[in-house]
Amino acid sequence: MLKFLVVDDSITMRRIVLNSLKNLGYNDFVEANDGKEAIEKLSGDAQINFIITDWNMPVVSGLELVKAIRGSEKLSKIPILMVTTRGIKEDIMEALQAKVNNYIIKPFTPAVLKEKIEQILSTN
Amino acid sequence: MKTFENMNQLFSKLDELKIVFGKGIKLIPIIQSLIDFMKEIVPLINNLTQSIEESNSKIPKATNQITKVTEATELATTEILDIVDKMSADISDTAEMLKKVMERDKKKSEILQKIKAAIPADSKIEELFNEYEKLEKNKIALNTIGESLQKIKADAYNITMSLQVQDITSQQLAAVKHLIGSVQMKLVSLNNNLIEANLDNIELKLTSEHSFDANADYTKSPERQEMADSIITSHNSTSQTEVDKLFS
Repeated sequence: MLKFLVVDDSITMRRIVLNSLKNLGYNDFVEANDGKEAIEKLSGDAQINFIITDWNMPVVSGLELVKAIRGSEKLSKIPILMVTTRGIKEDIMEALQAKVNNYIIKPFTPAVLKEKIEQILSTN
Repeated sequence: MKTFENMNQLFSKLDELKIVFGKGIKLIPIIQSLIDFMKEIVPLINNLTQSIEESNSKIPKATNQITKVTEATELATTEILDIVDKMSADISDTAEMLKKVMERDKKKSEILQKIKAAIPADSKIEELFNEYEKLEKNKIALNTIGESLQKIKADAYNITMSLQVQDITSQQLAAVKHLIGSVQMKLVSLNNNLIEANLDNIELKLTSEHSFDANADYTKSPERQEMADSIITSHNSTSQTEVDKLFS
């Protein structure tokens, strides 16, 4: 059973991602406005087992969140899908080095979201 | 004797002074033109500093306007999402009701066929059954309605996907706001260098947090995602090769 944590400072984007997840048949999720809030949610909910995060956010960015999760013994295995507007090669490389599992460039299509989630699940 | 020497020294100093004055006389036109130039340039500098101060005072208003635009578009987008969510829920309810009607019709049709088989052959009854069966063909129309509802639901969902433009434009606006803030800093610094400006009246508010992507772009072309996919594939295969090397 998957429980998603959707992290984005844009309410619009969070709702779009949540709607897309619902359409894919996933109904268990929590939201966070930035990386700091995400870490708080993760430490308070052990059932979260999939993270979808934006990169550019105030307080703690998505990349910092990824690094924090990968550096945590307890959380390091949680799959992370980054959904961001950042579309240059260097950004993608940086995210991969931080160990995101997959990367989507906004604006995304439902088909791409489905494909990436399935890819992550099949390799985890 | 001593007085004579003193007089000589005095004349020598007067000669030196005369030379200095001589040179000074030559310098006077240059100094005069410098003064004239200063007279012309000072009002220009005053105008410039005044203009910079005016521009500076307008910058906070411009950034506030950008913030308002972002907030307004986010509010409008949320309202659209609310309406689309409600529409989708209504469509789902209607589709569910339609499904039940179709199931009930199917059962009715099955019962009718059983009745038809049980009743002895009679031309009048046969005629009525045929008439009723013609009406039953409405089921096809119900199927079409069901398909149309699913299409409307999919279209409504696609509207929500297009609303990603709000997030992307808000990042572009945040980048513009940041740029305006940087220009303000430069103007204040320039003004400060020209004259001792009073910085107390100028609101220095440079957006420090980079919670935006200055290169955010709303494009539906799949090229960027394909590029990302190819980098990820290449990265993953490299990682796998490294793992293979470890175990070989």
